[in-house]
Amino acid sequence: MTHARRLTLAHLWVAFAAFAIAAVLGVWQMWARSPLPAPYLTAQAYFTSVTAHGVSMAYVLTTFMVMGFGYYVAETTLGRPLPYPRLAWLGFALGILGTLMAAATIFAGNATVLFTFYPPLTASPFFYIGLVLVVVGSWIWCGLMIVAMLDFKRVNPGTPVPLAMFATVANAVMWLWTTVGVAAELLFQVIPAAFGWNEAIDVGLSRTLFSWTLHAIVYFWLIPAYIAFYTMAPQAAGGRLYSDTMGRLTFILFLIYSLPVGMHHLFMDPQQSSAFKFLQMSFTALVAAPTLLTVFTISASMEIAGRLRGGKGYFGWIAALPWDRPMVLATGMAFFMLWFGGGGGLINMSFGMNAMVHNTSWVTAHFHLIFGGTVVIMYFAIAYAIWPTLTGRQPASLRHQRLQLWLWFIGMMVMTLPWHYLGLQGQWRRVATFNYADPVIAGWGPWVIVSFAGGIILLASALLFVWNLLEFHRDRAVVAPEHPPIYALAVHPPNRVPAALNGFALWNVLVLVLMIAAYGYPIAQFFIIDAPEAIVHRVTGGG
Amino acid sequence: MKPAELREIDRPWRIWASIIIVSILAFSVVFGFLILPIVQGRAAGLDAFTAICRAVGILPGSPAVRQPTSEAKAQPTTQVAWSTDLIRSLGQSTPAGAEVAQACVACHGERGIAADPQNPNLAGQSGVAIYKQLHDYKSGSRVHEVMNGIAQGLDGRQIIDVAAHFAASPRRDLDPTTAEVVDEDIVRLVERGDPARGLPACNSCHGFNAGGPMETPTLSHQNREYLARQLHAFRSDGRRNDIYTRMRSVAAKLTDREIDKLANFYATTLSY
Ligand code: HEC
Ligand code: HEC
Ligand code: HEM
Ligand SMILES: [Cu+2]
Repeated sequence: MTHARRLTLAHLWVAFAAFAIAAVLGVWQMWARSPLPAPYLTAQAYFTSVTAHGVSMAYVLTTFMVMGFGYYVAETTLGRPLPYPRLAWLGFALGILGTLMAAATIFAGNATVLFTFYPPLTASPFFYIGLVLVVVGSWIWCGLMIVAMLDFKRVNPGTPVPLAMFATVANAVMWLWTTVGVAAELLFQVIPAAFGWNEAIDVGLSRTLFSWTLHAIVYFWLIPAYIAFYTMAPQAAGGRLYSDTMGRLTFILFLIYSLPVGMHHLFMDPQQSSAFKFLQMSFTALVAAPTLLTVFTISASMEIAGRLRGGKGYFGWIAALPWDRPMVLATGMAFFMLWFGGGGGLINMSFGMNAMVHNTSWVTAHFHLIFGGTVVIMYFAIAYAIWPTLTGRQPASLRHQRLQLWLWFIGMMVMTLPWHYLGLQGQWRRVATFNYADPVIAGWGPWVIVSFAGGIILLASALLFVWNLLEFHRDRAVVAPEHPPIYALAVHPPNRVPAALNGFALWNVLVLVLMIAAYGYPIAQFFIIDAPEAIVHRVTGGG
Repeated sequence: MKPAELREIDRPWRIWASIIIVSILAFSVVFGFLILPIVQGRAAGLDAFTAICRAVGILPGSPAVRQPTSEAKAQPTTQVAWSTDLIRSLGQSTPAGAEVAQACVACHGERGIAADPQNPNLAGQSGVAIYKQLHDYKSGSRVHEVMNGIAQGLDGRQIIDVAAHFAASPRRDLDPTTAEVVDEDIVRLVERGDPARGLPACNSCHGFNAGGPMETPTLSHQNREYLARQLHAFRSDGRRNDIYTRMRSVAAKLTDREIDKLANFYATTLSY
């Protein structure tokens, strides 16, 4: 096995191990919130669990998945060995060390601050240091991806960077921008407070810095799914990518409009003024552009595949697609969930409607649907697609893989649709138990129970997924082809690509301009105005 | 492809991308920073300049409404105002504190562990909690004949010193043989509360690592009689210095039996 493949395998196993543990916790949380009596339930246990679940799903699963998949894409698309593999292992080691540190503080009950760790509550400093180490590990990955692309360009002047790699580097560049906000918050504000060096903390500033990260991080998680949409799904369906240029534009738009928009998480916060909220809201709306570009391009690519397979008429091509292939099936399900999730997102980003759903279960339901649904189902599909090339084996039948995807899809719909409705009824998020004896709340009970049932289906799917991955390592699995085609060719393969669509220099300048416009004064104001600070409240040590 | 040729096809991309993105930025700025606030401000009776300054965040308030005013008079339950300096000093025990504490030994015990179980132990209590209570006795927010007089005799500095002193003193040793087997429903109240009565878990504020209000006192290692008396006082509204009626709203829902058992639980528990 090549170095990159060993790296990929190591990263993905860590990602999915964290995922499986977190899935168990998720189901218990839903149980806790339901009228049915859950075991081990105390407030302390609940917030310990939600912190562990959120950190595992949002930081560990995603970061290791993005890194592992990135190494894979770099090696397979560029056709060159990965630069500096030792550094890559160093990044991996930092990530593992950070994850273990964070996990130890969480399970010792010293970090019940949830994955967003909003001050003035503070946890054990080692919780944050653990998270910082994970981020530092991912910075190494960013550097390696950029170097790999530059090396390729130097050796192959005039040859466009393959789309999958271009998108991966877009993600790496974006991640470097993204993590500036949270890194500043942690290093200058939260960690000193957690150590006891500061007794007060400017909560407005820390929330603003966190918002800098909070939206773009979502795209960091999402981009592997989009890479699969553009490059892997058309191939799996037996077709071609309709437009390589649309793909490049989409990833560039993600880079630009993921960053100056985070203030849509602060609509209800008083420390920012209405004009800057408006500015960032209007930039947020522009995410419609890459989303619609993608829906159009991928539908067109799928239509090509369907017609090549003999599909006729307006919709006949849909039926003609090879739905028995996990990548195609997952793409269909992901798009279906994207409609619901995207609709919910439009509501969240609208100032007025946001006021109605803010801090309710609507929000948690929304991100489970779009992130746990659309994105994670593509993580599964990617894993199924690349694992045979990692172990050289594959199971004789794909039945269990399809079953697993169906369970995830159905479970996600069953869990999140009632959860959205509960949010509209006013059910709070991040609350451990409800007083179902209260007549106002009693009506929520049955809906939570349905959500809980959805969660159980999801857990079954998560466990089946791990089992399916183990199948790839078993002796009874059959030998897989060594170099199966993974990435689709474009209808018009790119050969004359302008530098703007083959690199990031121009876009970095534009991101800088937009970030100064969107976040310059909103951050500077905390230093200009003598802003009030909050007293740090440490939720570690005696009570 | 040749570099010159590449540059040729790249130029329009560079120019148009920049033009489009800067235009979108300009549009949003004109709309959000000028047009919207002026229109909203007009409806709210604000001049254009004020409305724009508010929208940008240079002046406080919203561009869409007049700044609200209120005639209501504040009725604070306590006069305590926290500051970082204050909290820092409460963590630093000094010899001055030990000196002030001499005036307390008669009732609170030689080392802050009271001989009479009617009186509270102070040893190992949180400094923030001791400070708040002394401040409240001094201002009259918490009423107790003896303690009001004593607290009024202390100045602000002495209150800080003595609070830091007792906070740093070692807690009462608990005798494992006196720990009682506690009823299950009481443990549930402590750890889970009773949602059916709208009762939060005591430990969601009083517990180890809890995220409750910072002035929350430690209950373990406290005297049973004292704890029970305080719960009765909160329930009957006799003690009312808890901010936002946090404890009164809890105690009001407790039965006599529960108060007794809870006091007993915290006085003898070895768990935290
Ligand atoms: C004459 C006896 C007596 C003396 C002397 C005395 N106390 Fe007290 N103290 C009490 C009693 C009785 C209470 C309980 C009052 C109540 O029920 O509100 C009390 C309550 C307190 C409390 C509230 C504890 C809690 O957990 O809420 C503090 C703090 C306190 N005393 C501090 C002091 C300090 C400091 C001194 C010395 C400067 C002192 N007391 C001297 C009798 C005394
Ligand atoms: C919402 C948080 C909260 C909850 C829940 C809570 N408490 Fe309290 N409790 C407080 C605070 C804050 C104080 C201090 C009040 C003040 O400022 O004087 C306090 C004070 C007390 C005191 C007086 C202690 C002393 O030293 O004077 C007792 C006794 C007490 N609580 C018992 C309980 C019990 C028993 C429960 C559960 C049935 C409970 N509390 C639930 C916040 C809470
Ligand atoms: C087995 C399936 C899952 C179940 C049953 C589940 C359930 C839950 C529940 C009940 C909560 C707590 C909500 C609250 O207190 O308001 C939660 C939080 C969270 N979930 Fe999941 N979840 C699942 C899968 C996922 C997946 C796949 C992801 C993303 C990859 C995810 C990401 C998160 C995050 C980030 C939080 C933290 C939210 C917060 O701190 O408010 N979950 N989940
Ligand atoms: Cu966002």
